[in-house]
Amino acid sequence: MATNRSGAAQRPNGAPQTKVCQFKLVLLGESAVGKSSLVLRFVKGQFHEYQESTIGAAFLTQTVCLDDTTVKFEIWDTAGQERYHSLAPMYYRGAQAAIVVYDITNQDTFGRAKNWVKELQRQASPSIVIALAGNKSDLAAKRMVEFEEAQAYADENGLLFMETSAKTAMNVNDIFLAIANKLPKSEGAGAAGAGGARRLADGEQPRPSSCCK
Amino acid sequence: MDEEYDAIVLGTGLKECILSGMLSVSGKKVLHIDRNKYYGGESASITPLEELFAKFNAPAPDETYGRGRDWNVDLIPKFLMANGLLVKLLIHTGVTRYLEFKSIEGSYVYKGGKISKVPVDQKEALASDLMGMFEKRRFRNFLIYVQDFQEEDAKTWKDFDPSTANMQSLYDKFGLDRNTQDFTGHALALYLDDGYLQQPAIQTIRRIKLYSDSLAKYGKSPYLYPMYGLGELPQGFARLSAIYGGTYMLDKPIDEIVLSEDGKVVGVRSGNEVAKCKQVYCDPSYVPERVHKKGQVIRCICLLDHPIANTKDALSTQIIIPQKQVGRHFDIYVSVVSYTHQVAAKGWFIAMVSTTVETNDPESEIKPGLDLLGPIRQKFISISDYYEPIDLGSQSQIFISESYDATTHFETTCLDVLKIYKRGTGEDFDFSKVKVELGEEDQ
Ligand SMILES: Cc1cc2nc3c(=O)[nH]c(=O)nc-3n(C[C@H](O)[C@H](O)[C@H](O)COP(=O)(O)OP(=O)(O)OC[C@H]3O[C@@H](n4cnc5c(N)ncnc54)[C@H](O)[C@@H]3O)c2cc1C
Ligand SMILES: Nc1nc2c(ncn2[C@@H]2O[C@H](COP(=O)(O)OP(=O)(O)OP(=O)(O)O)[C@@H](O)[C@H]2O)c(=O)[nH]1
Ligand SMILES: [Mg+2]
Repeated sequence: MATNRSGAAQRPNGAPQTKVCQFKLVLLGESAVGKSSLVLRFVKGQFHEYQESTIGAAFLTQTVCLDDTTVKFEIWDTAGQERYHSLAPMYYRGAQAAIVVYDITNQDTFGRAKNWVKELQRQASPSIVIALAGNKSDLAAKRMVEFEEAQAYADENGLLFMETSAKTAMNVNDIFLAIANKLPKSEGAGAAGAGGARRLADGEQPRPSSCCK
Repeated sequence: MDEEYDAIVLGTGLKECILSGMLSVSGKKVLHIDRNKYYGGESASITPLEELFAKFNAPAPDETYGRGRDWNVDLIPKFLMANGLLVKLLIHTGVTRYLEFKSIEGSYVYKGGKISKVPVDQKEALASDLMGMFEKRRFRNFLIYVQDFQEEDAKTWKDFDPSTANMQSLYDKFGLDRNTQDFTGHALALYLDDGYLQQPAIQTIRRIKLYSDSLAKYGKSPYLYPMYGLGELPQGFARLSAIYGGTYMLDKPIDEIVLSEDGKVVGVRSGNEVAKCKQVYCDPSYVPERVHKKGQVIRCICLLDHPIANTKDALSTQIIIPQKQVGRHFDIYVSVVSYTHQVAAKGWFIAMVSTTVETNDPESEIKPGLDLLGPIRQKFISISDYYEPIDLGSQSQIFISESYDATTHFETTCLDVLKIYKRGTGEDFDFSKVKVELGEEDQ
């Protein structure tokens, strides 16, 4: 049940026929709450104390193995376009999951997170799976957002919720795993319905729809 | 905003977004601003459909048009050549990973009042009704000559110097008749008018090679089209720029481009804020006093609830009406995309008829194109001025792109971008600057 660092789809022993599902997951949240750090921890198992504001890497993939399914996340980071509310619609398009991140030591970032959730509920596909992440839980001494407050908000809005720390790795894999579990994995779930469309560099064959055998 | 940048880019049309991406990738600190609250400027795809109707002051669409947000309607019609410059830029910069494409199903040419498929291989050429028996053989010899032609190998030129002799003389060498010249020059080499006949043949040979290399890539036609419309392209390059540190501000009016005493740009003002910079890159709409009008393009967006007759119900096509066929100087283009590209609601087609304006009555100029479409449910006509910069920007350091022309592909668009990049930075764009890790992330 662990995430698989190589990125290749692994098959649990004795289960030769695993279903591979691909999902687009977007990150949202105020600058410096730790969006990129969460991805870096999840995908590469690393943490940088002085993580630069996102530059150069804003598209990563990581695979999670469930019992009968391999879930491949295509993870989109905002690349700073959220700073002046200039995210391109392309960013959200076809997203099947979102992690909205705030910093537990900063009340403002929690307010912003609520706004992102509202926008997702208004604009995104009604079936999108949204997780709320209260990041930097290792800094509990400086806490400004109470766990109970965030949990209550998440419950009201039907969000997955965890406090995470990209620094200590607490709950990082878990939140992605929880999302993977909640995503619908039926044939064609969440697919863009774009039969025959292709990505140009990837060997030029039609791209598998988001959920395929 | 109150910071100093290497370059400020104004407008998020495709050209500006590619430039912004290239500048950021090259390590420049870039601020990218648009006065609109959406990406794409003139190269945006309008969504939802209600927005398009409102833009043209038409009463709101009724329920037969389906869900408004299923529509993404381009304002400027273009296709990508599968082996063309834009595809190379997309692949080299990694932007292709944000996009998906479909091949355009067929390419047609207009002759004597009806349309015929542009032959894509020998079999089609033999079956084609575009040429008679003997002409087919001559055309075949011509195609083989072009195919075997190597610029570095004079032996393949066959006693013909393509850099001095003109295209007319090459046609004559193969004895091709006027009709064949017409569809070769306009539907394969994609020239807008007949000026190319007097130009060195090498230019046309390169274009025909681009056509056939593009065709070889995916088969059905040399053209590709992005899912969700052309508006995705500027967004993809904007994302590239942002990933490399570019700062994005939409919905930001520009009040002034601030110059020093010697006429060199020093910044850009919006309200009371001034962002300092060494250079400005922009589209003509931000600098009306620094561009002049070169001509006009008419574009007509047509919403159809049926495919085009005689195209085998293709879900996407390009039709070229060569100028001579309808007594004009410039070709008329018809491009058709549909619900299969997620740009229209189920069952709907979007046809765009466009050409370079030649008369005082542009609407009747596009009639031959409209006549091919059958019943049109809704029609939106726009006539845009086509601008080019009055100077190269070396003194002012303001680098201005040309407006989008009537061509139906992106080759001229990319050439303009590469030229502007070179004017601004003094060097050719070095594709190896795109970090290798970008490729490796995509495991
Ligand atoms: C935070 C946020 C901000 C956004 N900002 C912008 C913006 O500034 N400009 C802009 O143009 N767009 C914006 N969007 C919209 C975003 O671009 C759309 O979600 C996207 O264009 C729709 O494409 P999709 O592929 O995600 O399909 P979705 O529409 O999300 O849906 C996927 C599938 O679900 C079904 N579906 C979706 N909605 C419905 C419905 N209401 N009823 C029935 N079935 C439905 C459809 O069959 C569809 O194929 C924003 C979205 C979000 C989340
Ligand atoms: N203590 C602690 N610091 C963290 C944690 N996560 C991120 N940080 C730090 O917070 C800062 C910002 O993290 P980023 O990951 O760059 O934040 P971001 O949300 O991606 O920021 P932008 O790219 O600017 O939008 C960095 O200095 C990180 O080292 C965490 O869990 N605990
Ligand atoms: Mg970041």
